[in-house]
Amino acid sequence: MKLLSLGMICVLLGGCASQEVSIRSEPAENPAAQNAAAAASAAAFAAAAQTSAASPTSTASAAAPDEEPAPPVTAADAPSMHTYDPWERLNRFTYRFNARFDERIFLPAANLYRRVPSALRSGVHNFFGNLSEVDRVINYTLQGRFKFGVRSFGRLVINSTLGIAGLIDVAKKLKLPGAPTSLSATLATWGMHPGPYLVVPLLGPSTLREGLGFLGDYGTSYAINVADLYRGDVSWGLGTVNAVDKRANVDFRYYASGSPFEYEDVRFLYMRKTLIEDEGLKPKHRKRGEKSPDRRNEAEEPAGK
Amino acid sequence: MISRMPPRLARWGLAAMLLSAIPAQAGETASQAISPPPAPGPPAGLADSAGLRATVFGTPPQDIAPMPSRVPLTEIDIACPWKRTVPAVFWFDRKLRVWFSAQDKPAPLAIVISGTGNDGNTAKLSILRGALYGAGYHVLTMPSPTFPGFIVAASSTGVAGDLMQDGRDLYAAMQRIVAHLPRKVRITDIDVLGYSLGGANAAVVKSIDAAEGKLKIHRAVMINPPVSLFASVGRLDKLFAVSIGSDDHAVERLYRRLYAQLANLYRASDRTQVNGDFLLGAAAASLKTDAEFSAAIALSFRSDLINMFFAGDLYAGTGVVVDPKNPPKVGDSLEEVERTLRSKSFSEYFTRVFAPYYLQHRPNSTAASLIADNRLDIIGDALRHDTDYYAQTNSNDLILDRREFAWLKNTLGSRIAVYDHGGHLGNIGERQQVADMLDMLGGRWTGGAK
Repeated sequence: MKLLSLGMICVLLGGCASQEVSIRSEPAENPAAQNAAAAASAAAFAAAAQTSAASPTSTASAAAPDEEPAPPVTAADAPSMHTYDPWERLNRFTYRFNARFDERIFLPAANLYRRVPSALRSGVHNFFGNLSEVDRVINYTLQGRFKFGVRSFGRLVINSTLGIAGLIDVAKKLKLPGAPTSLSATLATWGMHPGPYLVVPLLGPSTLREGLGFLGDYGTSYAINVADLYRGDVSWGLGTVNAVDKRANVDFRYYASGSPFEYEDVRFLYMRKTLIEDEGLKPKHRKRGEKSPDRRNEAEEPAGK
Repeated sequence: MISRMPPRLARWGLAAMLLSAIPAQAGETASQAISPPPAPGPPAGLADSAGLRATVFGTPPQDIAPMPSRVPLTEIDIACPWKRTVPAVFWFDRKLRVWFSAQDKPAPLAIVISGTGNDGNTAKLSILRGALYGAGYHVLTMPSPTFPGFIVAASSTGVAGDLMQDGRDLYAAMQRIVAHLPRKVRITDIDVLGYSLGGANAAVVKSIDAAEGKLKIHRAVMINPPVSLFASVGRLDKLFAVSIGSDDHAVERLYRRLYAQLANLYRASDRTQVNGDFLLGAAAASLKTDAEFSAAIALSFRSDLINMFFAGDLYAGTGVVVDPKNPPKVGDSLEEVERTLRSKSFSEYFTRVFAPYYLQHRPNSTAASLIADNRLDIIGDALRHDTDYYAQTNSNDLILDRREFAWLKNTLGSRIAVYDHGGHLGNIGERQQVADMLDMLGGRWTGGAK
């Protein structure tokens, strides 16, 4: 049976289909709802901009008397345009594999899943989101970001009880929105650089640190094994549903750009996103007179290579 | 010639970050054998501050015309036998991909063509699809003939940007797609429309069909079309030089400034993730002046050129960035090639790829005749006398100068709607624009400037 499945996957990924025309039904669009959501988002954004203009320091955490704000990132601190990618050949191979897998298997499954009534889908999405709050509590605690840790813990408790095992995101309605984090962010807080760019089979763009973080987070969930979901008979099925749900919520299509430079562009954007997120993890204040934080260029190839 | 502006500001942030440093070896000069096309008028054409802003921000969602709550969508991949051999690095672009929304009753078909470098499913196309489907049309949205997926899968030359040649390829692709639509789809009439360069493409396709009659296209609507392709892109080169710089490190400076701006905004935001919402806010916070809007627009156009330049150079064998004897293979790194291309202008595309190819393949042509062949004048008579051609444009569109704007108005007469705002494509989907477009397509348009 396993061999048969493997064979089917090989045929599907082989790319030997030579039919002249293929017509695929996609999920229907709802431009009325999309536009209403865009209008609501624009209004919320304008309101938020007004609020922050009225109190520009509202989001900054308070500094101790002997502290001063950390110096801002300057243009000179920006990483070079080059991205450290010592495993490029393997990464490119994996990227192509992922593109084919996505086109033939993952995306069709996600499109099928999108036909499920949205209430049910959001229940599934919330359920898996609630499970990940366990890792978030641990990671925020390890990062020393207790405000977010308490928020994640609060969300876990509220959604697991009032939200019926996490199916409903009651906490969000109580103005406690989710705050994603990971072991990778924890490692970054401890000063670990992202390391080389890494394309993970099936999962996509990543870095060495994020790859390790993913394994660590999964290991933690596996060890805690809430309700026997990670080791029991349902674990494979649940893992598959989780993956499909995640894919259905990502608005990305391999090679929709039509560009032969897509690998380079995705790598560039992914690494800058990671580096900017790392900037957000650095202390916002420093002791008066302390040296500027190290802003070594994590994306650059190490000297001497 | 001409592009979508990013449908969301977030995408501008990404597009801006995409442009990397100009390589140190970029000092090579363009071939002097062919004069670069002239670029008359100011760099931003007719655009004022409001026009630049509208071009970047697009139509505010609250001003969008009423849309239907359900638009069915099918994705069609179709092989076009006239395409050239697919180069190895374009392994994913073997078939032309278009999108189709079918009514469940007999209805007219509206074929919509995208703007420069863009695919057939952009946010602007999605808005037009919604409006047209809601008005009872079957809707087929197609990529621009300058989109790499089209160049590879449906171009008979591989060198995009020639109005008539691209029109012929589009026309052939349309026939093939219409012939392969599901049998239950019953089409009562066919109209074509497009925005930006796609507008000019739509009009040319209708003129070809008028001679060949294979599709019996009824009406054509051009939305913010260019009048002279190479004059428009020449101005965009100027806009790039003025707003970003023309020295070797100008783009790198912009990238560094942008990175620092985004990093500081992120640090101040107390967010835990860089996501679309953050980028939306960051772009709004960092785009305030005309110079910043101009830079965003110039960057967006320049990033559209990169793929077209690469494909053209590869197919034409002109050897600007690709060694014709040793083309890149699947799995080869293209970082250096892309970096080199980021410093290449539309003028260089013309002088080093487009003109050499077409001069060789069109006996008796000259650089001047190629430029002239890429003006809407080539179908001027049809535009002037055939009452089934329509246009919508804005009096502050950056791809037009005064003479071109006047030419459009004089040529189309009462069949053009002129809006006093919107810049380039910054009012697509607006109530008035949609109502006028539907009146034009339905033959109900009674004319008049707005």
